[in-house]
Amino acid sequence: MSNRKKLLFSLGAVAVILAVGAVFAVALSLVSQQGARPKPGSPAPDFALMLFDGYTAGFPRTLQLSDLRGKVVVINFWASWCEECYKEAAALEQAWRRYRERDVVFIGVDYLDTEAPALSYLQQFDITYPNGLDVQQRIARTYRITGVPETFFVDRNGIVREVVIATLDERKLHSVIERLLAQP
Amino acid sequence: MKRLLLLLLVVWALIGTPPSAQAQDANLDDQTYHIAKQLNCPTCAGRNLADCPTQTCAQWKAEIRSQLERGKSADEVIAFFEARFGPTVRQEPPREGATAILWAAPLGAAVVFLAIAAWVLGQRTARSASAQPPAALANDPYAARLEQEVRESA
Repeated sequence: MSNRKKLLFSLGAVAVILAVGAVFAVALSLVSQQGARPKPGSPAPDFALMLFDGYTAGFPRTLQLSDLRGKVVVINFWASWCEECYKEAAALEQAWRRYRERDVVFIGVDYLDTEAPALSYLQQFDITYPNGLDVQQRIARTYRITGVPETFFVDRNGIVREVVIATLDERKLHSVIERLLAQP
Repeated sequence: MKRLLLLLLVVWALIGTPPSAQAQDANLDDQTYHIAKQLNCPTCAGRNLADCPTQTCAQWKAEIRSQLERGKSADEVIAFFEARFGPTVRQEPPREGATAILWAAPLGAAVVFLAIAAWVLGQRTARSASAQPPAALANDPYAARLEQEVRESA
């Protein structure tokens, strides 16, 4: 390879490195915009969720998490295309019906979904607790979920006490909720 | 007459959907595919919606088709998905904000490359030009003989 060719090759390599560096810089800036996943013991980040028509359960159409202070809150991320979500849907609804009179609120946050199949899912399981679409995945990004289903249990003081990155069953739901209700 | 009408109905049922409706369906399929090609699958990184076989993408494609049937334009459908799922839903990142760097980076790198190449080559040309013997020396018979002897001895 002649000296001139070597030189042009080196300059080409520098140009490619600069371009790759720019891409990395953009990726890093996007990642740094996201916070950390709320861990047990940390405050639950506040959010507002616009609820589906017919799925407000008596709450305002825009449900604000901070307005639920003093109650135990179960935040469940789900999607109609998520097979695992189907397995826990009935248990969530049963637990909601069992605990709703004891100051426990369930919130369904519908992730990356479209309205028609989402509503069909809610009807299929006769779900009555507040549910809404997570527009632009703002809540999912705030909570740094890695997929669905994921469930965050928040105590009366707005502190995350348990995070479940798996399908829930009745036993698990009852044990966590009872523990949080027993706290002052 | 009744038999003829009955026969016509049977033929109609056998042929199925009229050709104009079939053409409309095919057109809708094409438009759905064209739009789906411009959107990302929400669950598989980097894969476009049109080529993804997941249930999520099937639902999204059904949503695109449903919106087209309701008379929405391709731009309106894409805007709907962007409003609902954010700018990352597009296959091509927006040419504004932080992602503008992604578009500018290759062009910038090419400009830097050309500028450095032009400068370095210019320097080398200038250096080799200054290394040439002066014109007066080229016509000098003594210098010519010296050069010939050097060449012969080499």
